[in-house]
Amino acid sequence: MIAYLSNLATQLAIFGILAATLNFIVGYAGIFSIAHAVFFGLGAYAGAQIALLLVPDVVLACLFAAAIAGGLSLCLALPALRVRGEYFVAASLGLQMVAVTLFAELKPLTGGIGGLVGIPLPTLFGVPVGVLPVALAALALVLLATALLARGAFGRTLTAIRDAESAAEALGKNVAAAKTLAVGFACAGAGVAGALYALHTSFVNVESFTMEYSVLVMAMVIIGGTGTLWGPLIGTVILLSLPAGLAFLPFIPPSEVGAIQQILYGLAMTLLMIFRPAGLVGDLSRGRATA
Amino acid sequence: MSAAREDAPLRCEGLARSFGGLQAVAGVSLALPAGQVTALVGPNGAGKTTLFNLITGNLRADAGAAWVRGRPITGLKPWQVARLGVARSFQDLRLFTHMTVRDNVLAATERSAWFWQPGGAAGRKRRQAAAEAALEATGLAALAGARAIDLAYAERKFLSLARILAAEADIWLLDEPASGLDPASRTRFAELLRAATGRGVAICLIEHNLDVVAELSDRIAFLDQGRVIAEGDPRSILRDPALAAIYFGDRHEPATAAAETTA
Repeated sequence: MIAYLSNLATQLAIFGILAATLNFIVGYAGIFSIAHAVFFGLGAYAGAQIALLLVPDVVLACLFAAAIAGGLSLCLALPALRVRGEYFVAASLGLQMVAVTLFAELKPLTGGIGGLVGIPLPTLFGVPVGVLPVALAALALVLLATALLARGAFGRTLTAIRDAESAAEALGKNVAAAKTLAVGFACAGAGVAGALYALHTSFVNVESFTMEYSVLVMAMVIIGGTGTLWGPLIGTVILLSLPAGLAFLPFIPPSEVGAIQQILYGLAMTLLMIFRPAGLVGDLSRGRATA
Repeated sequence: MSAAREDAPLRCEGLARSFGGLQAVAGVSLALPAGQVTALVGPNGAGKTTLFNLITGNLRADAGAAWVRGRPITGLKPWQVARLGVARSFQDLRLFTHMTVRDNVLAATERSAWFWQPGGAAGRKRRQAAAEAALEATGLAALAGARAIDLAYAERKFLSLARILAAEADIWLLDEPASGLDPASRTRFAELLRAATGRGVAICLIEHNLDVVAELSDRIAFLDQGRVIAEGDPRSILRDPALAAIYFGDRHEPATAAAETTA
């Protein structure tokens, strides 16, 4: 039971990082990326390779994963600079599809469909360490950074770009640089989550980085409330505890849990968008058709 | 070309731009002198807003060039032009709708796209002071905490102006800043412009209401079909019957125009 709860808590922390970083670009910069799992995956492979080839140091793995995911985030930043709204959603979907194919095919780097197995247990400066405390610390850091950036001038710059890009530019803001930075920060964070995930499960393959996961993280952000500090975290807790909770209900046959879960997700999303379009902790006046 | 024109904070020569077969701006040369309000007047479609877009880099010019204090700005991006001290407003305002009034104005003072702004605590204090001064001057101080989207029409127009004030630019390009303002707001607006020109700001404004033009402007440039067809002091331009005929739309074949209105 302790192991089960510890596993759930680690998953919550890892997906919390994913949701918080995605929220940073969705909620503040208005960049609706359906490719966050790509950078999660890049970080996971990078972290796993460091652990397999070099040393399973958790900090080193996270830093390397952040550098790889942040560096390759230009793949996402470039379309974000050219197109907005639904056009960007389509572009990010394309990126997601290309990435999944590459993850499955680039055997030397990703292990192909079989993935990377036997990732050693994590250490910190040579001492064995659990992933949970590190993941919680990383989550706290990400939330702190998000709060600081969002409240300060950078958050204002991003919100200004989201609300009126041309006006922000006319006031001397280098829109391209600000968007690139925001995307880089968010993707580096996703990379850290990926490295933690790889060290936690000691096995990674492409199935954890598909579009389904990108959509799941997006759902966490939207259900919790975009552009809020705690919303994405609340969305993460709800969406991850739901399957765990359902499995405990005696009157649902285990074989039907998956289907019931999908129906509940769908219903919750639809009802939420009707009654609280800005999410559970979002600003009530936002997103309504009449606003 | 006169020496005054060379010295103007902003000047353009032969700016031209066409869209498909339509020549929107056909070789406009104009100088905005410091401390003066130049009104850009002309019928809809004369190329006034397009001219603004060519100067600010929102549109690329097919021909011609523009200078800010002698420095060529042709080919620069809008944010680079803005950083040389050119501020503009938009006809549709483009406020940061979900931000507070204060944040709208503060955002205008923060130009760095990096994670933090230069200048440390002193810089932040200076930017805050500039923002508060702009709010005070535009009468928005009491509404500083309200969101831009919740403001009334005139307040939105003043917020658009407050952003420009806070940006501390010395060249202002204002696209219909006074349209729809009631007389009291218009007076307040006129005072703001006078205070700015008193500091040496060069202002160019697009305006359709000729009473407002007469009241506010020191010079008029009359645009028609992408060309400046007359330039001078407001009295002589506004009294020119030929220009009035163009402006009020009864040139070329008055019979056709009449037929169109009855159709």
